[in-house]
Amino acid sequence: MRNILITLLIPSALLAQRTVAPTTEDVGNPRGQNTPGYNITNSVELGYRWRAVDGNYGAYRSDINFGNGIRVLGSQLRVQSKEGHGWLFDELTLNTQGLGNDPYQSAMLRLEKNGIYRYDLSWRLNEYFNPGLTIANGLHRMDTRRRFQDHDFILFPQSKFRLFAGYSRNSQDGPALITVQQFDSRGDEFPLFMDVKRQRNEYRLGGEAEISGFKLNILHGWDNFKDDTPIRLNGQNPGANPTDTVTLSALQRGEPYHGNSPYWRAVIFRNLKRFGFNARYSNVSGRRDFRFDELALGTGRFSAETNRQIAIFGSGRRPVTNASLNLNMLPSNKLTVTSHTSFNNTRMDGNGTYVETLNSNKNDSILNFQSLGIKSAQTLTDVSYAAAKPVVLYGGYHYSWREISSIDGSVFGGQLDAIRYTQQNQLHSALAGLRLRPLPGLSVQLDAEIGRADRPIYPISDRNYHALNGRVQYKRKSLTLTALTRTFYNTNSVSLTSHSSRSRQYSYDASWSPQSWLSFDAGYSKLHLDTLSGIAYFAGGLVNGTSSYVSNLHSGNLGVRAHFLKRADLFAGYSIIRDTGDGLPSYFGIVTFTTNIGGVLSTTRQAVSSAQVFPLSYQSPQARLSLKLTSRLRWNAGYQFYAYHEEFFIPAYQNYRAHTGYTSLLWSF
Amino acid sequence: MRLYLLVVLAVAGKLHGQAPAKPALPKPIAEAVSAAKPGGFVGSSVCRTCHPDVVQGFFKNPHYKSLASGKEPAGKTGCEGCHGPGKSHIEALGGKTTIPVAYSLLTPRKVLDSCLACHGKDYARADIRHSAHSQGDVACNSCHSVHKSQSPKFLLAKQRQPDLCYGCHANVRTQFSMPFKHRVNEGFMNCTDCHNPHGTPAASWRMGLRPRMVGHSLGNEEACLKCHSDKRGPFAFEHAAVRVDGCETCHNPHGSTNAKLLRRTSVFTTCLECHNGAPPFGRTGEGVVLQTGTHDMRNPRYQNCTTCHVRIHGSNADRRFLR
Repeated sequence: MRNILITLLIPSALLAQRTVAPTTEDVGNPRGQNTPGYNITNSVELGYRWRAVDGNYGAYRSDINFGNGIRVLGSQLRVQSKEGHGWLFDELTLNTQGLGNDPYQSAMLRLEKNGIYRYDLSWRLNEYFNPGLTIANGLHRMDTRRRFQDHDFILFPQSKFRLFAGYSRNSQDGPALITVQQFDSRGDEFPLFMDVKRQRNEYRLGGEAEISGFKLNILHGWDNFKDDTPIRLNGQNPGANPTDTVTLSALQRGEPYHGNSPYWRAVIFRNLKRFGFNARYSNVSGRRDFRFDELALGTGRFSAETNRQIAIFGSGRRPVTNASLNLNMLPSNKLTVTSHTSFNNTRMDGNGTYVETLNSNKNDSILNFQSLGIKSAQTLTDVSYAAAKPVVLYGGYHYSWREISSIDGSVFGGQLDAIRYTQQNQLHSALAGLRLRPLPGLSVQLDAEIGRADRPIYPISDRNYHALNGRVQYKRKSLTLTALTRTFYNTNSVSLTSHSSRSRQYSYDASWSPQSWLSFDAGYSKLHLDTLSGIAYFAGGLVNGTSSYVSNLHSGNLGVRAHFLKRADLFAGYSIIRDTGDGLPSYFGIVTFTTNIGGVLSTTRQAVSSAQVFPLSYQSPQARLSLKLTSRLRWNAGYQFYAYHEEFFIPAYQNYRAHTGYTSLLWSF
Repeated sequence: MRLYLLVVLAVAGKLHGQAPAKPALPKPIAEAVSAAKPGGFVGSSVCRTCHPDVVQGFFKNPHYKSLASGKEPAGKTGCEGCHGPGKSHIEALGGKTTIPVAYSLLTPRKVLDSCLACHGKDYARADIRHSAHSQGDVACNSCHSVHKSQSPKFLLAKQRQPDLCYGCHANVRTQFSMPFKHRVNEGFMNCTDCHNPHGTPAASWRMGLRPRMVGHSLGNEEACLKCHSDKRGPFAFEHAAVRVDGCETCHNPHGSTNAKLLRRTSVFTTCLECHNGAPPFGRTGEGVVLQTGTHDMRNPRYQNCTTCHVRIHGSNADRRFLR
């Protein structure tokens, strides 16, 4: 029995992304070593990872980023008390991934003493590399490390009165490039060096109590953020546009930005056999203060020596208040009614006093300020009725109201200049669906939703939309077949502009295990999106046109897992994503961006056309082998190939091919 | 094993057209049955006789806490805490239909009712009744496997959380397989970093009806801001699109074929589709601000808006996000 279970579980472990994981822990089948009072299972996988990249190394690092070297590819330690009465703890679980040198490293720890405490730690590190690629002419680059950690401690986790405390930390540091435009609105752009130093610390304290069936949950937190990233340029820089006469010889900028956001959340809820409710209130009050000091030296647009200092100081505030009420009514075993009502109030306001000294002439200060208020209320009512044993009908009506108020202004020379505006928007949506279980193992779900908004804030927001969803699943012991379709159409048109967005998704998946030692997985998805939007831009004069974007993503994945001779486990897989765009062989002649300047096809049109479809392929075959050497030792090896290829985006400098692999030894008991 | 033999003999007898002789229970079990507590609770140790594979490793199961405490009443501990009193099941010599609470035979709503009897006390599941999963008949045992879990911490039915979610959300697997994506398949993130599969309150962004099942940061803000805290603000000058309609206005959060998870291949088309000046859109109802006449789109330098508008998520220095 145990061997059969292990045989079944090891191939599933091979599904893991990179590492051939150790034998997965089976709750019903203990293994490991027994010490007085505890059962211990442990595994460590130590290996060497390698890569060989041909093509755009930056794009590879952005997408995949595995490097060479020795790592602890993964480890799992579990210490479990056998009677549930351990001295200091009853459970200790520590899982790690990629420690040593991988771009995605993590460690998860759980320590628990039944009835007394529970402590969870999550630590993650991400080597975040961004080469800019098609964004900002490739001038915005980032090679940073992001670290995240979350600590959560609960006292008396199984009692009716619980206390919890938590701490989270999120930091980012490393070199980056950013740009600045100098010395006026027509000036050139210059890349600047940025030493990213950002840090967020969050502290949480709360409690949960159960009194007479009512559960009360209160949480208070403090979120502190600081950004002390210095920016500078040393030495003459001609700028991003060589024909531009503006140059920058030195720039130094300091912009410390600190603030905190204390928050409260209070919830009271109760579940009865036929009725339940959940009332919640939360408030986040945020304030951040800043100073901005920039000194730039260079030559201006008319080749004159120029120096400019900008000093700004001010603050931003954003309190967000939310209250919601859930009502769950279960009048019979067949009928379920849920109602969710929510109110939100967000008030943002900020100001900055701007002082500019240009060529040693100090200008009057300007006080700029902005306020943005968002109030909204939603109510969502859903009903589900089990009409007959295999048939469930469900439906819902959802309503949302929003008010946006805005003040945008400045004070200059004692004169106030402000624009105030308020607008409201309502959205009604209705949903109807059907769930069927016509045969054992077969389930069918179909639903449709329609929505109407009277005044969305943006041309691409949801206005008149409908969605159709369907899912069919057939599930038996060794076979699972799933088909899924989702469509979402939205049109948002007014007299001067129109926007339509049509999204269709189809997915088919199959999983089959004909033998205990053999299983197959296969899937195909198609994600289609086409949008048509009215746009306006300047190209010699104001041009009104349309912008269309077409994406036809086909994706397939195939995997085979096999277990041979009680010793060898093999996984072979292949995945591919291919965007075929609009199916045309090149971007020339594609009518994706039309202007109406006397019917003349301008160069602008072609340049834009090339960007409106983005055919590419991204494929990755892989194979992994795990051999059992002894009862406690396995040897693993894996290989994965990545090929990224842009079909006709010019220049196609982002293409790459990468061979990656690893070999490792896994020791476990 | 002995019990199985007895069952086989009884079934064989029935096939021969004879009235099945009721086999005698093994003595220890018979004693346990006769000593059953009111309501028919016999205790988990009796279950071990026929289900040793389940009971043997049960000390590793989080549900073992109820046994370990020794304080819980019979109906809230061990096997019978979930499956109900075992007396009738034993007297019938086993069989799934004789288990008072056999989860594979329950309707999804009954499964939910049963699990929430204990797990409903946690705030994280306070919204489960109106979650899309509950409304879609996805009950607890669709994702959790109490006895055959491959993930001890949350008793998930699959070892990796994303594989579990992909079982139904195959289209999302595609999105996370794109060149630009959040690192879910790489094991760096999990679906629950952003989503609460047990339901969430309505979103405080967009119109509140979508997206569903997305968790909140700091109580009521968009989940993205938990990690992307540098985009959170508050800024002196907010990009209203970020606050009003959320990050999804410009980004595909799961994955994209476009850099920075953008919805469009180029930055300028992303921007121009809103910044077309057409009323009644925008904060002032006069259209979202049209670019100025100095931006001649025939010049490539103007086709990368964020080269100059570098603080596009919000700025403290410039209302046009130039610094």
